[in-house]
Formats: sequence, structure tokens, C-alpha cells
Amino acid sequence: MSFKRDKKEEEDSGGNPYQNLDKTIILQEARYFNQSPVNPRKCSLILTKILYLLNQGEQKFSTQEATEAFFATTKLFQSKDVMLRRMVYLCIKELSTLAQDVIIVTSSLTKDMTGKEDLYRAAAIRALCSITDSTMLQAIERYMKQAIVDKNSAVSSAALVSALHLSSTAPDLVRRWANEAQEAISSENAMVSYHALGVVAGSRKNDKLSTVKLVTRLARAPLKSPYALCLLIRLAAQLVEDDDSDAAQPYIEFIECCLRHKSEMVIYEAAHAIVNLRKTARDLAPAVSVLQLFCGSSKASLRLAGARTLARLTAKHPTAVAACAVDLENLISDPNRSVATLAVTTLLATGAESSVDR
Amino acid sequence: MVHTTMEGALFEPTLYIVKGMCILDNDGNRILAKYYDKDVLPTAKEQKAFEKNLFNKTHRANAEIIMLEGLTCVYKSNVDLFFYVMGSSHENELILQSVLNALYESVSILLRRNVERRVLLDNLDAVMLAFDEICDGGVILDSDPTSIVGRAALRTEDVPLGEQTVAQVLQSAKEQLKWSLLK
Repeated sequence: MSFKRDKKEEEDSGGNPYQNLDKTIILQEARYFNQSPVNPRKCSLILTKILYLLNQGEQKFSTQEATEAFFATTKLFQSKDVMLRRMVYLCIKELSTLAQDVIIVTSSLTKDMTGKEDLYRAAAIRALCSITDSTMLQAIERYMKQAIVDKNSAVSSAALVSALHLSSTAPDLVRRWANEAQEAISSENAMVSYHALGVVAGSRKNDKLSTVKLVTRLARAPLKSPYALCLLIRLAAQLVEDDDSDAAQPYIEFIECCLRHKSEMVIYEAAHAIVNLRKTARDLAPAVSVLQLFCGSSKASLRLAGARTLARLTAKHPTAVAACAVDLENLISDPNRSVATLAVTTLLATGAESSVDR
Repeated sequence: MVHTTMEGALFEPTLYIVKGMCILDNDGNRILAKYYDKDVLPTAKEQKAFEKNLFNKTHRANAEIIMLEGLTCVYKSNVDLFFYVMGSSHENELILQSVLNALYESVSILLRRNVERRVLLDNLDAVMLAFDEICDGGVILDSDPTSIVGRAALRTEDVPLGEQTVAQVLQSAKEQLKWSLLK
């Protein structure tokens, strides 16, 4: 009963249970992790406090303190509580850059990554890859390849995104997983397909010919994921920029086709690419009319996207933008200041006297 | 200020799109924040200064999006909480908006539509997990609120009804009634 009253008082004062946390006290509390059996609720609260402190960034953990907290946390692997286990992974990731000898949890995480509980597997892969260095990567390579093509989308995405992170430190190794990633591009799951495309495109970054093949193949059988389509538009636009001959025509057609997609994100991505690629005002027209429509949207982010892209266009094609003068004038009194400022500067740059007067 | 530079005209083909995400309270203090790019706001001091500036510019005007210090920030607020997602100023604003929607909706479901500071602090662990499920090192991991929550909110499911106290059951029944009336 007294606990309840305390809680009530806290509510009244709007108190923050995490307000006056002290590093040394929390580190002492972490010793509680040694007790058996583990109390998931209590331990989860202590982990939350540690994470909160790290997140606030004001009380810095020394290497010794971080290592102490890290080792205490590893004791919690004996509990099977899903929420607690997930908090443990989070702590491992956050402490891995501060603490020493973090690789001691490798075997625990590998076990979770290959175990039966799907909710462990995805998160364990991400935690494992955050503590693994390139020398240890070979030991888990087999599991990573399997995980990339796993039928559980969370597992597959976790492996692909981790591979992407690892490719900056061990590009050659990750390139060997490209076949599995290639397979995952055609996944039914939108996010898996997006992440897979990212990994494959990343591994071919310096190989123009195979990028051409990839984009050509995917542009013909369009992807379902709007995010993946945005990425594909960017890759196609880059190819057009590098080589503006007739060979680039199919890419331009693909991008123009995306102007009619149902997702606003993709439409804008396509319009933005066209505006920055095409040379004549006539070629620009479909993209400009899309941006013009955006300027009249009820969503501020759409108005900003439209106005900002038109503003950039003024330097190259003032006439194309001048045609949107009326839409931009409506934005001068926009409640969003960024939008209003953009509209004013764009109108001044296009320099139609009639609009300056107003 | 608004950036209208010509350089970097095309969007870069990268998966590293999110530069940061944060939740602030109604005094502009950080409740949770993550920054994903070592070159953008590397120290806690710079981050907090940025958050203060961001808060001052946005807490009164509910204008959804702002260009600030070379970053595009989309935001949304409710009662005493402010949600922000940051990306480079050369980034597709609508992608950032989709991440903000995912963040806000996931938290809203986790807090059973009571999006306010006290309820959030009571469920801070689940919200931390949701953060982790939405963005991994700057890469959008998932943007579907139901699947994000499915992976972050595990507690209510694993407590069998028999073990909930009568008070808890009554409380959740009351809340459900309240929301069915407000709809």
C-alpha cells in the first residue's frame, strides 16, 4: 500500500523515476544480476537505468566501470525472459564500444542466433555483429549466410543490415555473401528486399558493369518496396549521370515510369532525379508538374520537398520554375517558415516583376 | 537556415539515411536520443545544444518539418512529448517522414494511445527496444508500427491473465472503455 502511495505522489509531481540516477549507485545495483534465480522485472529496470544513463551522456563510464557493468549483464543470460534478454542485447551493443573483452559473449550470442526462438535470433545477430571484429567474422560466416536467406523476415533483415555495417571493415568477406543477398532481393517482405538491394549494390559499388546489369534487371521487374524503389531510382540516376548517351534511355524511362507510382515517396524520388538530370525544359515538364502538385499539399513535408526541389531548379531552368510562380506565391504565407522562406527566395530568383510587386 | 546549395544535387544511393532520432519532454530535455553518424553531432554536448535549439524553434509552431544546421528534421508532438527524426539536408524528406510516422505510431501503440511523458517513462524499456527496431546504425530496419511493436512489446503477452492483479485488469478495461467512447 505504501508503494502505491509513493507512486501516486510521484504522479502528482510529474516525477521522473530516472531523474537523479547516480552512476556509482547503479553499478552497485548491477551486482544484483548475480543472484539466482533472476528476477526479470527488477533486472530489466536496472538495465533500463544503465541505458538511460548512457543515453543521457552526461556521466561518462570509465573503461573499468563499463567492463564491470558488461560482465554483470552477461550473468542475465541464464534467464529465459524474452524482454529481459532483449534488454541484455541492447546493453551489450551500447557497452561494446566502452568495455573490454566484450567478445566473451560471442558463444552465448551465437547460440541465441542459431536457436529456436525467433525473437532472440534477429536481435542476437545484430548484437553479435556489433561486437565481432573481422578476424572473428569467419567463425560465424556460415551462420550469417544461412540467416540472410532465412524465411523469417526479421532474421533476414537483421543479417543483411549487419552485413552492410560489416562491409566497411571487411568488404572482401561480405562480398562472398552477395549470392545469398541477391536471392533475398526477390523476397516477399518489403524490408528484406530493400536491405538486400542495399547490400548487393554496395558490394558492386566499384564495378560499373555489374551495377548496370543489376539496375537493368530490376527496372524491368519493378520492386514492391517503396524504399527499394527509391534506392533503385538513385542507382539508375547515377548511371545516367555517368553516361548520358542513348544507352541511358531505358533508365530515364524507368524513372519517368516511377512518377506514376502510388507511393508519394517514390513519386518525389523520381521527380527529384528527373529535375536534376534532364536538360531541356520540355523533358522536365512531367516532373515539374508533380512538384507543383506537392506545393499545394496539406502535408508540410510534401510542400517543403516540392518547394525545395523547385528552388534548386531555378539556377538551371528559371523558365520552368517561373511557370509555378502562382503555386509558390501561395506558399509565401505558409505556416511553415522553412517553406515560406524557400518560396520567397525562389520567387526573387526567378525575378518575375509582377510577383515581386505582390 | 535554409540551405539551397547546388552541390549533391542527386540523392546519394545509400541505406544510411537516418542521422538521428530523439524524444524530448516539454522543457526540451532529452528523454531518449540516438545519433547514427560519427560526423554529425559527435559529442553529447553538441547533441544537447542542437536539441535545445531544435526545441526552441519547434515547440510552439506545429509545422511538421524544419531545416536546421544542415539537417532536415521532421517532428510531431503530443501533450508533453516531442518526437524528432533527423536526416541530411540532401535527403528525401518523405522517407524521413515515414520513419517519424513509424516511431510515433509504435510508441503510441506501446503506450496504449496515452502518449505522454509519465506513461512513456513507465514503459521506457519497451520504447528503447522500439527505437532499436526502427533504426539500426542509421539504416531503416522496419517502418511498420505493428511489426515493430510486435517485436518490442513482449511483456503484456507473457504475463498470463491469472497473474495480473484485479486492479490491472480493471485499469485496462477502463482504458478500453474510455477509448471506445472517445473514438
